[in-house]
Amino acid sequence: MRPPKLADRLLAWFCAPHLREDVLGDLHERFSLRTAREGVRNARRRYWRDVLAYVRPEFIRRQPEVYPQPTNTTMLRNYIKIAWRTFRKDTTFTMINVVGLATGLAVALLIIQYVRFELSYENTHPLADRIVRLTMDYMNGGTVYSQDTETNPPLGARIKREMSQVVNYTRAYPVGEPNLTVQIGENYHLVERVLAVDSSFFSLFNYPLIQGNRNDLFTKPRQAILTESMALTYFNTLDVVGKTVKIPKSAGSILLEVIGVVPDSPANTHLKFDMLLSYPTMLSDFGEREDNWEGNNTLTYVQLAENASYERFEKSLIAFNNRLHKEKRLVNEQVIGQKISDIHLYSHKTFETEPNNEARSVYFLLGVAFLVLLSAFVNYVNLTTSKALDRAREIGMRKVVGSTRRQIKTQIFTETLLINLVAGGLAVGLVAALRSVFVEVAGLPEGFTVFQDAFFWESLGAFLLLSIGLSGFYPAFVLSSFDPVVVLKGSFSRSVRGTLLRKSLVVFQFTVTVILLAQTFAVYKQVNFLRDQNLGVNIDHTLVVKAPAGANAQKDYGAFRQMLLDESQVKAVSLSGTVPGLRSTHMGTTTGVNLSDAIKKTSYNYYLTQIDTSFIGLMGLTLLAGENFDASTQPAFSDPTNRQLIVNEETIRLWEIPTPAAAIGKQVDLWGRKATIRGVVKNYHYESPKAAYIPIIHMYSPNFDSFASVKFAGGNARDQLTMLRKVYEANFPHSPFSYFFLDSEYDKQYKADDRFQQVFGALTGFAILISCLGLFGLATFTVSKRTKEIGIRKVIGASTINLMVLLSGDFIRTVLISIFIGLPITYFIIKNWLANYAVRIELSWWLFASPALLVMLLVLVSISSKTIATALMNPVKSLRSE
Amino acid sequence: MRRSDLGEFEEVVLLTVAALSPGAYSVAIAEELEQETGRPVSTGAVHAALQRLEQKGYLRSEMGEATAERGGRRKRFFTVTALGGRVLNEVHDVRTRLWDRIVPTIRLEWR
Repeated sequence: MRPPKLADRLLAWFCAPHLREDVLGDLHERFSLRTAREGVRNARRRYWRDVLAYVRPEFIRRQPEVYPQPTNTTMLRNYIKIAWRTFRKDTTFTMINVVGLATGLAVALLIIQYVRFELSYENTHPLADRIVRLTMDYMNGGTVYSQDTETNPPLGARIKREMSQVVNYTRAYPVGEPNLTVQIGENYHLVERVLAVDSSFFSLFNYPLIQGNRNDLFTKPRQAILTESMALTYFNTLDVVGKTVKIPKSAGSILLEVIGVVPDSPANTHLKFDMLLSYPTMLSDFGEREDNWEGNNTLTYVQLAENASYERFEKSLIAFNNRLHKEKRLVNEQVIGQKISDIHLYSHKTFETEPNNEARSVYFLLGVAFLVLLSAFVNYVNLTTSKALDRAREIGMRKVVGSTRRQIKTQIFTETLLINLVAGGLAVGLVAALRSVFVEVAGLPEGFTVFQDAFFWESLGAFLLLSIGLSGFYPAFVLSSFDPVVVLKGSFSRSVRGTLLRKSLVVFQFTVTVILLAQTFAVYKQVNFLRDQNLGVNIDHTLVVKAPAGANAQKDYGAFRQMLLDESQVKAVSLSGTVPGLRSTHMGTTTGVNLSDAIKKTSYNYYLTQIDTSFIGLMGLTLLAGENFDASTQPAFSDPTNRQLIVNEETIRLWEIPTPAAAIGKQVDLWGRKATIRGVVKNYHYESPKAAYIPIIHMYSPNFDSFASVKFAGGNARDQLTMLRKVYEANFPHSPFSYFFLDSEYDKQYKADDRFQQVFGALTGFAILISCLGLFGLATFTVSKRTKEIGIRKVIGASTINLMVLLSGDFIRTVLISIFIGLPITYFIIKNWLANYAVRIELSWWLFASPALLVMLLVLVSISSKTIATALMNPVKSLRSE
Repeated sequence: MRRSDLGEFEEVVLLTVAALSPGAYSVAIAEELEQETGRPVSTGAVHAALQRLEQKGYLRSEMGEATAERGGRRKRFFTVTALGGRVLNEVHDVRTRLWDRIVPTIRLEWR
């Protein structure tokens, strides 16, 4: 009988070889003794225990060899030692390399995190690649003039019925834009993002229920589901199933039953919400109809079958559209699909659920970050190869002693590796320091973590590898190529080939710098230019309050207004459906409004808003012709037969009326009734001047159901706010006081531009820092090589100025080349970028000359400390130097 | 002479080597100890103790002949060195001295 084989294998693995004979012999002998005495089974069991008893350091430790085994480590240790000495010998170079690489790495790491977040939209929904949002294109003849995200309610059900590729659909109706007032117990709250959705919403999008029952969701009207944080904010508990949320309405409040809690919407989805209502609530309480082909106010999402191709789906959508047109369900609209993963970076339609980003600027920033990183590599390559001469003798000696080329390459790579590891560590520190600033500037969600993410460490590893490869390859190649005979004879001098490469790398670096700098200037100028535009509307010293909920709002408005006007600082108070500076999508839109006597009917999209008599005065709009609404005007909704309209210039342009005066008194077909043009106002920027003027139709409404604007004469904003709050609470005691300053709200529209400008500016700053560091290093090196030459020149009689020109000339020439390459490229980039803006700066020579001058100045500053010092040096000293 | 470097188990192993001499090797010692104490003793523990004793100079070893039960592997025989013998004697003396000092009545009470 043999002892267990596996136990023997285990022993052979851990036991030191020189003890194996003894140990195995003992074990086997004992095994046979035991087999004879206690039987095989017991012997085998005991055998295992005996084997395990050998797991002790005495038996595991290997016998030390007489000869140290791997000779490689000796060489490696030598490389590390030499590397350390080289680093210490010239700390300036080491610092420039480490700081440059660390900055480049940190920048690249942060930007890649940002890009990853931007690209991660909708990733949390497992079906995301099969969910398509249906949207509407408004056609005027053959051209698309407006794209709308919102669709008609029956669309989803019909498309599912008629197209085999579509297996499911859900509607999402944004309720109460921009926010909805709800009553919980005695308190009123504003909920910002409320969606009414079908029960299928939960099978399309991934929202597991924390509370409540998954079956039977949202089949009945007046059901609500809260997000986790909403439940905690309003009820202080997650145990909210069965509780009631009230939507106060003048004609009978709506009581919603809470039937569940879902996690908060992730930061990376375009469709975020705080509260969900069952879609049937729209039918029962909000006057929506299941067969409403006239109004499109709901988002429609469809889920494609597993094997359906998107191209095929788009093709069948054309046929689907044709059917709808034939039935006259749609006239000027065209239903088109849009993959939801494309929404965040590519979609800029009206009524988007949130402002989207642009793929172009995301990739642009990524590209710039890589250029900054490349610039850091360039520094390393340049400094290392320029220093190669210093090390030529060392390399020569190594070769004579017997080193192969490969070994020398390994040595240089070891040095690169060490520098990069230090830089990598420093980069992690930089990222930690810059993280919170970056998260804010780049508009990432709060609490965006960097280090917990495995991706961060993976990308750090990848960047380090890239860095070691790119920055180590050429220096290793150059240094290992020295011919020992030439080098040791001393007849070795700088090669033209190497200098040319270094120069072209510097040219590359500074071309990038010039381009970035000019871009930064242009972006800065453009954003400021937008800010300084005459908006056509006066937004200073204006506070806007939201209308209170409930029945008494109307009654109490008169008193509220009077109390405000009694205050000395208040100049005017007005009511309106929405205010400039909010997104234009808060206005209603309608298509195909035409002059009654128009021969050719068009179907443009017009924006409708309600204003009262003091709105035009308060906002500082200019009435070009006709007159303002007055007390005798009938409110547009109480008198549909004789609606009075005040339109802007853009509207009459679309109606092809030549002058504002000619428009007054003309009849217009609006919603099947005649309406009269009462006045024409000068165009004003409802949204930021980035967008073109939109056609706006103002109608009269004295109802306080959206916003009241209060214009102050100037003075302390805080006092005004306190006063307004007091007056508001005195008149509308149960309503939450919700307000904003019109100018700061207006400013929010520039957020995306500001963000881009800041990130871009920071990147440019880093690029400049890195290239100037590199140039400083190069200047230090070249100048130190020419100390003796300078001394001789001085003795012969060269002036300090002569010498400085001589020393800087080379660098200045290189940078001039960069400027001449960079500026034309910049010209094209800026021109293309500006084309996105309706209002834009003129391209002036100044825009190009100033960055060029600035780069020149920076170059002079970074090299001058070395050149001046050398030029001033006492020739006696420099001639003695070796 | 430092006494502290002889552990209890080591002492027993050393004694057993002395008792089994000249046929003392790890398996025999382990078997012997198992019989004497009635508790399982692994060759691993014995082997480790023998190694330590040899390092301290109390034991000397040499390779013996191969046997079939060992799968053709050789045994390692141990003998006590002069130093080892002296240490054993010393330990024994210390113990005897202490034993002798125990008052007879107490010994009687144990029984």
